[in-house]
Amino acid sequence: MGGVRWMAPAGLAAALLVPWMPAGGYQQYVVQVATFVLINAAVALAWDIQARTGQLSLAPAAFFGLGAYAYTMAALRGVPLWLAFALGPLAAAAVSVVLGVITLRLQGLYFAIATLAFAEVVKVIFKGLPVELTGGAVGLTAPPLLGGHQTGLYYLGLAVLLVTIGASLAVRHTRLHYAFAAIRQGELTARVLGVRVVRVKLLAFVLSAFLIGLVGAYATSRLFFVIPDDTFGIGISVSALATAIFGGVYTTAGPVLGALILRTLEEGLHILLRQGYLVVYGVILMVVILYLPGGLVGLLTRRRGRDAAAGD
Amino acid sequence: MLLQATNLSKRFGGLAAVGGMDFHLEAGEILAIIGPNGAGKTTVLNLLSGVFPADEGRIVLDGRDITHLPPETRCHLGLGRAFQVVRPFLEMTVRDNVMVGALFGGRQRPLAEASARTEEVLALTGLTGRADVLARDLNLLEDKRLEMARAIATSPRVLLLDEVMAGLLPHEADQALTLVRAVRDAGVAVLFIEHVMRVVRDLADRVIVMDFGEKIAEGRYEEVTANPKVVEAYLGVEDAADA
Amino acid sequence: MDLFLQTLVNGLIQSGTYALASAGLALAVGVLHIVNFAHGEFLMVGAFTAYWLSVLVGVDPLLSLVPAGALLFVASGGIYRFSVRHVLLAPELNALLLTFGIAITLQNLAVLAFGATPRVVHTAYQLTSLSLGPISVGVAPLITLVVSVAVLSGMYAVLYRTGVGKSIRAVAQNRTGAYLVGLDVDRIYLLTFGLASALAAVAGAMVLVRIGASPQMGFAFVLKAFAIIVMAGLGNLTGVLWASLVLATGEAFVRTYVPGGGGWAEAVFFLLIFGTLVWRSWRQA
Repeated sequence: MGGVRWMAPAGLAAALLVPWMPAGGYQQYVVQVATFVLINAAVALAWDIQARTGQLSLAPAAFFGLGAYAYTMAALRGVPLWLAFALGPLAAAAVSVVLGVITLRLQGLYFAIATLAFAEVVKVIFKGLPVELTGGAVGLTAPPLLGGHQTGLYYLGLAVLLVTIGASLAVRHTRLHYAFAAIRQGELTARVLGVRVVRVKLLAFVLSAFLIGLVGAYATSRLFFVIPDDTFGIGISVSALATAIFGGVYTTAGPVLGALILRTLEEGLHILLRQGYLVVYGVILMVVILYLPGGLVGLLTRRRGRDAAAGD
Repeated sequence: MLLQATNLSKRFGGLAAVGGMDFHLEAGEILAIIGPNGAGKTTVLNLLSGVFPADEGRIVLDGRDITHLPPETRCHLGLGRAFQVVRPFLEMTVRDNVMVGALFGGRQRPLAEASARTEEVLALTGLTGRADVLARDLNLLEDKRLEMARAIATSPRVLLLDEVMAGLLPHEADQALTLVRAVRDAGVAVLFIEHVMRVVRDLADRVIVMDFGEKIAEGRYEEVTANPKVVEAYLGVEDAADA
Repeated sequence: MDLFLQTLVNGLIQSGTYALASAGLALAVGVLHIVNFAHGEFLMVGAFTAYWLSVLVGVDPLLSLVPAGALLFVASGGIYRFSVRHVLLAPELNALLLTFGIAITLQNLAVLAFGATPRVVHTAYQLTSLSLGPISVGVAPLITLVVSVAVLSGMYAVLYRTGVGKSIRAVAQNRTGAYLVGLDVDRIYLLTFGLASALAAVAGAMVLVRIGASPQMGFAFVLKAFAIIVMAGLGNLTGVLWASLVLATGEAFVRTYVPGGGGWAEAVFFLLIFGTLVWRSWRQA
C-alpha cells in the first residue's frame, strides 16, 4: 500500500482547507459537495470493513436509516443533541447484533439476498408506522447538529470520516487483518486453524453497522429530513459497495478515493442530467468487475510495479 | 493416552463411511492409518478435527471430551490438521498463511510472538526463501510444505496429516519424512494417513488398517502387512476359477 | 364469502404473471448458477418494447410479446457474450455485482430515455370484464393468465421433451459432465440466458397491459421473483409454479384483508425471502 501513502497527509491537508478555499459564490456548494464526499467515503469504508470477512452485505441502508431515525426521533423528543447523536450508532449496532446472529449460517449469495430483504423490510416497516411515532411515509424533519453551522458541520463530518478511517486502519494493522482475510479466503480452513469465526464475523458486522449508524445520524444534518424511501433507500447500499469496489476493496485508501471521484462525478452528472445519473454507478460497477478487479488502488499500485494483490 | 476415539461412527445418507472405530494415540507416537481408497480414512480425520459431527462415539483429547466441540476449539486444545487437498489462503503470502496458524492456533499469541513463531516454522519447513510469495503461485511441493507449516504453527500436541506424500518425488518424500520426525521430536504426536508404503514402514511406530469404514488390523508395520485380511482388502480374493 | 373468492381469483390470476417473471430467473439461476439481478430490468425493457410498439406502430401489446421476447433474447445474448460469460467461473460475488451493475445501468438508462413517469396502454379489452357468478374477472388479466400458462407450458415442453431441453438440464446438473460428453456448454448458457430473458420480456408485456410500464418496475419484480425461487428452492424449476401461487394469493389476501394492506404486502414478500433463507440455513445444521 506504500504507493498511495503520500496521498494521506496531502489529502488530510486538503480536506481541512476545503471551507477556506476561494470559490466565490460557490463556496457553500463546494462545502456541501465535500460533505457528501465525506459521508459516502465513510459509509463505503464501513462496508468495506465488513466485506473483508467475505460477506457481501446489502444492509448498510438499514443501518444508515436506523442511525438517522434514532437521532431524529430522540432529538425531536427533547433528548440533548449530543446524546441523540450517540444513539444513532448504538441503535444500528444493537440491531446488527441480532441480524448478524440470525444470518450467521448464510453464505455469499444467500447472505446478500437476506440482507437486502432485511433492509427492505425495515424500510417498509418505517413507512407503515404511525405518523406520530416515526413520521410514517412522509418522514420527519431532523434538528441539525451544531445549530446547522455549515463549516462546523463540515468538520464534524471530517471527524466522523477520520473515525471510520481509524477503524479501517486498526483492522488492517492488527491480528484482525489475518482473521478477516482467512475467513474470507477459506472459512472452514480458518476454523481448523483456530480462528474464532463466529466471533470475528459478528465483530466485523457490528463494527461496520455502528460506523454506518454514526454516519447516518450525522447525515441528517446535511439531508434535513428523514424519510423512509430515501433514508432506507437501496441507493445507499449500492453506492457504498460500488464506491468501495471502484476505489479498491480491502483497502483504506480505496473507498476514500472512490468516494471523491464518484461523488464529484455524480454531482457533475446531476447538473447535466437531473435524473438517471445513477447510471454512472452501474457502468462503473460493470467495468470494474470485468476489467479492474483491484479497483483504483489496484491500478495505482500496479503502475508502480508492485504486486497489486500483495496480501491486502 | 493423548488422543482416544471410541465407537466413532459417521453415516452419509445410507452409507456408513465410518463404523464403530476404536483407536488411540500415545504421546510422542507416530500412528499411521492405511487402507484402500474409500475406506473412510479421511472421514476419520474429519471427525477428529470437527469438520463433521460424529453420529456416534466419543473423542477424548488429553482427558478432555472434544466430541461436540467446534473445530476452532479443538485447535486451541492442541489438535492440528493438514488437509489432503491443500487449502492455502490463495491471496495471502506464505508468511501470512503461516501467521494465521501462529496467531490463532493454541494460545492466542500477540502479533510479535506470532511473527517469531512463524519465522521458526518457515525455517523448519524450508519455506523461508519463499515467504513473500503468494500462496497461489506455489508449486505442489511448496503447497504441501505450507499446509504442514500452517498446522505446525498452531503448536499442536496432536498433528493430523492427510496423504502429505502424495505426488512427491522420492527425495522430496525423504525431506517430508525428516520434517515429520523433527515435529515428533519436538513433542508432537502424529496421526497420518498414507498410501506410500515405504513412508509408512519408515515412519510409523504403529499402523491401523481400515476397510469399509472399520478397523481390520492394528499393530506394527510388519505384522499388519503380513495379515491376510489386509492383503485381501487391498488386493481382493483370488477367484476360484483362476486358482 | 364473495370477497374471499374474489381475492382468491385475483391471486390466481396474478400468480400467472409472477410465475412467468420468476421462471426465467429460476432458469438463469438453476442453469448458469448466477443470480441475474438484471432480470427485473429485462422485464422492464420488455414492457417498454411492447409499449413503444403499441404506441408507434399500433401493435396490440399482447401480440408484441413476441417481438419483445425476441428482442430480449438477442440483446441478452449480447450481454452474456460480452460480460456475464466472463464471470461465470469467478467467485459468485463477481457475477452478483456485475448483474447488479447491469441492472442499475439499464434502469437509469430507461429513466434517461423515457423519464420516470409510468406509461400505460389503452386497449379495448382492458375495460371489459367477465362475470362468473359473484366474481368478476377483468378480460385483460384473464388473457394475461392464459398467455402466461401457454408460454410456461411451452417452456416446460421445451425443457422436458426436447433434445435441447435435455442438454440444458444436463448442464444445470453437472457442467463438467456435460462438457465431457461433448455438449457445447457455452452455447447452452447463451441459449438459456436468452430464453430466461425472453421470458422476462414476455412477463413485462403482460404487466404493461395490466398495470403499465415504468423504469423502476424491474426492481419490485426481481425481488418478488427472488422470493418465489428461494421458496421453491434454487434450481427447482417446477417448484416455481406452486411458490408463485402461494405468494400471489398471499399477497392478494394481505391487500384485501389487512387495513392499509398495500404497503404491508411488500413487507410480506421480503419477510418471506428473509425467513425462508434463514430457516433453511439453520435447518442444515
